[in-house]
Amino acid sequence: MTGRYGREISTAIALAAVLVAVAVAAPQFYGARNLQQILINNTPVLIVAIGMTMVILVGQIDISVGSQFAIASVVAGLAAQTGVPIFIAGLAGMIAGAAMGVVNAALIAGAGIPSIVVTLATMVALRDVLRWTTQGRWVQNLPPAFQWAGFGQTSGEILITLITSVLFLAVAWALGNLPAGRALYATGSDAEAARLAGIRPARVVFFVFVVMGLLTGLAAALNAIRFSEVQSNAGAGVELKTIAAVVVGGASITGGRATLIGTLLGVLLLGIIGPALTFAGINAFWEKAIQGLIILAAVVADARGKARARVVPNR
Amino acid sequence: MSPIVDPRSRFERWFPNQEWRLLILLAIELGIFAFTAANFFTTANAAELARLSVEIGLLALAQTCVIVTGGIDLSVGSMMGLAAIVFGSLWHDAGLPVGWSILLTLCLGTLGGFLNAYLITRLHTLPLIVTLGTFSLFRGLAEGLTEGIRNYTGFSPSFLFLGQGFWMGVLPPQLVIFAIAALAYWLLLERSVIGRGLSAIGFSEEGARYAGVPVRARLQLVYTLSGLTASLGAIIYVAHLGQAKSDAGTGYELMSITAVVLGGTSIFGGRGSIRGTLLGLAAIVVLQNGLRLSDGPAELVGVLTGLLLIATIGAGRISFQSEQQEAEVKNSQVAVLSAVIIAGALLVAGSNWWLVRSIKPSATASERRTVIAMMPKAKGDPYFVSCRIGAEEAAQELNVELLWDGPTDLDPAKQNEVVEGWITRGVDVIAVSVENQAGISTVLRKARSKGIKVLTWDADAQKDARDFFINQATPQGIGNTLVDEVARVLHGKGEFAIVTASLSAANQNEWMKYMKIRLAEKYPNVKLAVVRPSDGDRDRAFAETQTILNVYPNVKVITGIAAPAVPGAAEAVKQSGRRDVKVNGLSLPNMCKPFVHAGVIDSIILWNTKNLGYLTVAAGVALHNGTLHTGVTQLTAGRLGTLQVDGDEVMLGPPLIFTAQNIDQFNF
Repeated sequence: MTGRYGREISTAIALAAVLVAVAVAAPQFYGARNLQQILINNTPVLIVAIGMTMVILVGQIDISVGSQFAIASVVAGLAAQTGVPIFIAGLAGMIAGAAMGVVNAALIAGAGIPSIVVTLATMVALRDVLRWTTQGRWVQNLPPAFQWAGFGQTSGEILITLITSVLFLAVAWALGNLPAGRALYATGSDAEAARLAGIRPARVVFFVFVVMGLLTGLAAALNAIRFSEVQSNAGAGVELKTIAAVVVGGASITGGRATLIGTLLGVLLLGIIGPALTFAGINAFWEKAIQGLIILAAVVADARGKARARVVPNR
Repeated sequence: MSPIVDPRSRFERWFPNQEWRLLILLAIELGIFAFTAANFFTTANAAELARLSVEIGLLALAQTCVIVTGGIDLSVGSMMGLAAIVFGSLWHDAGLPVGWSILLTLCLGTLGGFLNAYLITRLHTLPLIVTLGTFSLFRGLAEGLTEGIRNYTGFSPSFLFLGQGFWMGVLPPQLVIFAIAALAYWLLLERSVIGRGLSAIGFSEEGARYAGVPVRARLQLVYTLSGLTASLGAIIYVAHLGQAKSDAGTGYELMSITAVVLGGTSIFGGRGSIRGTLLGLAAIVVLQNGLRLSDGPAELVGVLTGLLLIATIGAGRISFQSEQQEAEVKNSQVAVLSAVIIAGALLVAGSNWWLVRSIKPSATASERRTVIAMMPKAKGDPYFVSCRIGAEEAAQELNVELLWDGPTDLDPAKQNEVVEGWITRGVDVIAVSVENQAGISTVLRKARSKGIKVLTWDADAQKDARDFFINQATPQGIGNTLVDEVARVLHGKGEFAIVTASLSAANQNEWMKYMKIRLAEKYPNVKLAVVRPSDGDRDRAFAETQTILNVYPNVKVITGIAAPAVPGAAEAVKQSGRRDVKVNGLSLPNMCKPFVHAGVIDSIILWNTKNLGYLTVAAGVALHNGTLHTGVTQLTAGRLGTLQVDGDEVMLGPPLIFTAQNIDQFNF
């Protein structure tokens, strides 16, 4: 039963269990508007998690995405303040993200420093650079067309969902079918073997970190246009949320194994817990503990599944 | 039989992971700060430095062993939070003697560490995932058990001595514990068969197993020890701050990992040393302390730490690669690289020195100006940013030097650290917005005993720890006004919900306490439906409000009691299209203006934050030159005119209520 998608299946079971529990405890959770809102609120995390899936797939990690997210938000806001079209402002956010991605990429793929060290350094440094320059001030007095990129709430929400869905499907398809996508799997499984097979692992890793920055910039821009002001400390904890989602979704942190379906399940599972607990009337004080338990439960379920799978061939 | 000869030179044996780089770095830091930082080379500062690094240092020692095996432990900071409140409740609620409480807390830490160990070794799961889970679980349990609110204070002086006292006048007691722990970890990692085994596991788990290393038992040992060490760190932390609260050790896991990695321990496992970790720790702590004493911006710490990490590890990485390639140019390459690193470090440090010099006014020209050091709860918080504008204005008018520094992150111990720095540096007046009453009062008393005048503003410390409190509003006054505003909108009947900052935020919890009292006394028909946290994040407040509106259709007022929570809640109400729901609370006019004019926000309550900053500096000057002293009933404060002094409190005046009518008159 476990087979190829064992990890994804155990995450799906955990998600289903939470959904059933909510259906029993608080059926009003399944209101259309509520589900819509949860989905929209989780799109930024999902977009960053798509990038994180690729990063983890090649056996690396990026803990600087929260700081990148904050800087890209502010850059997009400042660009919009100058009066350029919102599309350009969003692009500015993405370029800022990609630029930070290039810095990470150069240090990791170019200089060969471990990714956790590089991104730990950029996480701390970028956050403090932002604090220094903004001194905590928000970007206010944005043009009215900033919010929803001028499309109005309903169309704006559809636009954000559409962009996220297209991106998700495109990356999922590319990972499975394009040579470039397979190169990620190859690099993550065994960089040396990949090199002998004609892939340049350093280039793959470089590319992945730049894309990570680009996607973080996109997520920040799409998140920013849901509001009329840009806060200067956006994206706090995004790195932990996305890493947890990707890993709960079945990716192997040592690389070579990850699917976007798993990541989607992980994002949904972790994103639903908070609202679901509010619906169930459980006090917010216990939320973090329950979140931890669910992560551990997914891990344990998977490990037990694996253990059973190991026993079977010996019989 | 001839003895086994170690092929490495003495130099290589002493610094197997190029720890000499850190030694040079540390020497450079010390050299620069000797010039730029006031009172840097004093015994008192050395003792304080050592004291401040003990908690993170303990975590870093344990983390070194974990990382040497190729693992990681993200749960240590959360374990500190859990251990702190369990220790507090054992001592306070269960009434156990301190000794037993300590023992049981250490058992809890061991147990928590073993939980990690069990899940990692028995289930063959990766440490990162398991400890990410327990990272949430431990902190969550701490918050759940205390409901975020309860914290424990009033520990006996003999226990507090452990964290605050001095042996023989110079030696902080926790430093002795730390030294013993460091020695024990050194023996374990570098002088024992077990330590060799840990390295072997880090290089190759499979290989170690074939070589006869009991891999499972060894891994269980390091993670269990890590839990135990974290709980020991928690006890010292409680003794240091005098308060046990669920947010103890927030973010310490990353700081400990930073120290370990900077110390040359390979994140992939195998190589690592306790010496390196201690040097890495020292490099970071000295940098923080030195920058503070040089009046450098605190944000530089993060930037420089990041640069140092990349520079030292990058250089180590490249020279390691070149060794592997066995290139003939190896030595010269290393030499060039080292020169580059040293030049880089000099450049960074030198530019910093220049910056510091250029910021510092030429004090030699005129007589020394009065130095007023003012601390917010959080530097980046827009509320405090606007207080600072007023403070700067007053400092300019009155020709005094204003130092503005405080925590940039959620670490509740940071305020103490900053005040300690100011005491060492030597300032005339310290003014603090207190986050952690029991914790900071000790260090404020110390400042007073050294002849520094102490003010509190925004939130008070214990009364005997300060000269005056700049009172902008009492928690009771805030609570009452908030509830009155809610009841006004609801016409005395209905439900409302609160979006607070974090669940353990001291101020917010105090306000909510008085809000509930006021509700019970005056408005029996107004019901508080639910309280949700926003963690000071506008986006989180937005999502929480959406959920509240869906779950509680009868809620007609959302009260945000953190500056970013009000616009977040307002945006959610606006997007929901619910015209029957209003938002109010405590926030800044500039953030809320559009929503107030759109009719989503009914009113916000706040005092004039600029005036609060202005008054604090003015009162500081008056306190310093003697016009403000016990017994006076009035204080003249520049453009604010004459203000009332009530006992030991300077009153700013009643809070303002901002509505669509008056909000445009204010710009902060």
